Amino acid sequence: MKNRLEEFRIRNGWTQQELADRVEVSRQTIISLEGGRYNPSILLAFRLARLFELQIEDLFLYTEEEEHHE
Amino acid sequence: MNNRTKWISSKIRMGWMFLATGIIVAIMGIFAELQFAYLPYNFRIITGLGILLGGIGVGYLVRYRAALKDEQSAMRLNVEERDERTVLIRTRAGNRAYWVSTALIYLGLMWVSFAANGSLPALTGNTLWFFLAVGVLIPFGVYITSILVDQRNI
Repeated sequence: MKNRLEEFRIRNGWTQQELADRVEVSRQTIISLEGGRYNPSILLAFRLARLFELQIEDLFLYTEEEEHHE
Repeated sequence: MNNRTKWISSKIRMGWMFLATGIIVAIMGIFAELQFAYLPYNFRIITGLGILLGGIGVGYLVRYRAALKDEQSAMRLNVEERDERTVLIRTRAGNRAYWVSTALIYLGLMWVSFAANGSLPALTGNTLWFFLAVGVLIPFGVYITSILVDQRNI
């Protein structure tokens, strides 16, 4: 699933570690999320969206085609 | 003492427990090896288990005692252990190791079944010992390999 995590993180001037600390995950998880290799749990998606004061769908871009490829 | 410090203290206690158990088991293994050398049993397995437990204990102590001194690394260690990606990777590794383990046990069962009617040589003595050792080591290897591969790919 594509996402705009890196874009919003940079816009806030946070490092990957700072973002990881704020949502209580490892830095490696943030790296994987930004690289699109890992899809977060619904709880983590909510935490990230709340942190950036966004709706989940503004942060994570869901497309049906991707689901069929997984 | 906050929750994080309590959590680290409990891990340190666990480390001491592993270390103490490991030392006791290793000493028992060495003692049994010396005292009961005439018995047809390889007591080195007990000594080896003791060394393994002691090693786990030392690992715990090194990891968590360092974190106790620094609040930031304590927080990161706590987060790392509960991190959902890490949990996913470990779960996948455990699942793979379980299926490999089941396959090996089934293979052993099939072998014994064929050996019962003479179609295959019986698993006895050293052969049985090596088969069981492989049955422990291969799933462990699969577990570790799976973690390493998923750490890179996920």
